[in-house]
Amino acid sequence: HCVYEFQVEMTCEGCSNAVKRVLGKLEGQGVNTVSIDLEKQRVYVNSSLSSAQLLETIKKTGKSCSYIGVKSS
Amino acid sequence: SDQATGTLKVKGMTCMSCVHNIEDHIGTVKGIISIKVSLQENSATVQYQPSLISLQQIAEMIDNMGFECEVQD
Repeated sequence: HCVYEFQVEMTCEGCSNAVKRVLGKLEGQGVNTVSIDLEKQRVYVNSSLSSAQLLETIKKTGKSCSYIGVKSS
Repeated sequence: SDQATGTLKVKGMTCMSCVHNIEDHIGTVKGIISIKVSLQENSATVQYQPSLISLQQIAEMIDNMGFECEVQD
C-alpha cells in the first residue's frame, strides 16, 4: 500500500472528524489508516484504493479538496 | 402538495462551519426545498419533495458527509 496525501479544507475539529468518519467507513475495504493534520489542512490515507476513489469519498463531505500525491514514506 | 417537512438528528458538528457546510451542500440537492441545521439541538429540519427524494436518502447523504445522522421519528 502507499500513503496518499490530500489537501482538504477543514476549519475545525468537527470537520476533521467528519473526514475521518467518511474514510473510516472504508476501513477494511482498502483503507488501512487515516491521519489528519488540521493546521496544514492535510489528510494522509494509507490505502490500496486509487487516489481517485479516495478523493471521491472525501468530496462527499462537501469540502473542497485536492489530491497532492503519494507521500514518500 | 408535493412538499413535506422532516427532522433529522445530526451528531458530530462542533461549529458553525459544519452547519453551513451541511446547509450549502444538501441545499443544492434535487428535491430539497430548504434545510435549517441547529448546532445547539444537533438537528436539521428539511423541507423536501417526497416524489423526488426521501427523508432516509437525505439522512444518508448527511451521514456520507461524515456526520452521524438519523431520521427523527
